[in-house]
Amino acid sequence: MAKQKTVDAKVTLIEQLKLSIGGISAAIESQCQSVFGNNNLMSNDEIADFSLEFLELMVVLLASHDPLDTKQPAFTALRSFFGNMSRQILVRGGKMDDFVRYMQFLQRCFLTSLETDDQMDTADTRAILLLLSSLFNELTLSVFQAYLEEKERTINAQQDEIRETATPITEIWDGVLTLPIIGTLDSSRTMLMMEALLNRIASERASAVVMDVTGVRSINSQVSHHLIQMVRAIQLMGADAILTGIRPEIARALTSLNIDLGNVTTRASLSDGLKEAFRRLGVQVMTKQ
Amino acid sequence: MHIAGAHLTPIGDGDFLLEPTRGLDITDSDALIEEILRRVMKGVRLYYDLSELAIIDPVYYQWMSVLARACQTVNVKMICIHMQPTAAFALSQFLHELPPFECALDVERTNADERN
Repeated sequence: MAKQKTVDAKVTLIEQLKLSIGGISAAIESQCQSVFGNNNLMSNDEIADFSLEFLELMVVLLASHDPLDTKQPAFTALRSFFGNMSRQILVRGGKMDDFVRYMQFLQRCFLTSLETDDQMDTADTRAILLLLSSLFNELTLSVFQAYLEEKERTINAQQDEIRETATPITEIWDGVLTLPIIGTLDSSRTMLMMEALLNRIASERASAVVMDVTGVRSINSQVSHHLIQMVRAIQLMGADAILTGIRPEIARALTSLNIDLGNVTTRASLSDGLKEAFRRLGVQVMTKQ
Repeated sequence: MHIAGAHLTPIGDGDFLLEPTRGLDITDSDALIEEILRRVMKGVRLYYDLSELAIIDPVYYQWMSVLARACQTVNVKMICIHMQPTAAFALSQFLHELPPFECALDVERTNADERN
């Protein structure tokens, strides 16, 4: 019985679409224009193309055996249509809620066109309503899925970028590397830094590493433990580690944490650290007479 | 004298290069240390080449520490060279004190440092 109602509903919907295609198409275009066109998110040609494509795909889906079968090609095509459209809107700076509102409007367009048909009884209207709401719920979900995937991709790209900029290791002199540490040192960041630094020591055959902690805002026992770990790993590679830029408050915090930096070479500033590295390398920098 | 699982080569100026292979059995460390000391005891430095070792675990570190301390007793300095980044990373995770051996990038770099 329910199956029969769905068949009736989709037949009625297709008929409605055929009858009032011009009106629905114009309404969709004008809504699309007001939501996306005014913000320059889509051109007029794109709006017309999208509206036409949507109606075509909708007819194909309704004409299929079971419009609610999410695995069938017609549904996949409509889903990927919305996925692509939302991705395009988001890339151009559009908002997700505007897009969802636009989808709700599309659904309303069909319902509005039904209002004018007097021959339909309550059961028919209910079946159409059920079909449309189930269909658009599925589509909204898939659009959200695409939105989340896009966001995840953006976050991953940003994380990669942060990871690269978080370890600005520079070979400032033959065999001398500098690593300014800015921000907070947590376990995952320390691991990344150490990995990058130790590989650079091996590839550049560096003799000294100057680590500048001027940009480290605060220090706790975990951060200091990570710092000492880094120093130890550098020394194990056979290079000298010089820690510079320890601000008074950091020095005080280290003392109160009972952290022994006795085996670590420390210097006040990055330039002092470089001088120390040069001294160890036997490099003399002097003013030209 | 042959050392099972390692190559020990005199490289001049009283220096020796110890290159452990995968076949080095450190479970019988006493016999190994005795054999190594017998060869290097008139030397100055023993370079321990770690280039083939991707990871150093606490057991291997223990073996290296014992060997380094044994070398100290016969006035030979043990210097670990070519430590891999992964090994240095792993070792720094559980090391709480200064190791009883020195570390250097390679043999030439140690000699250059000592000249400076």
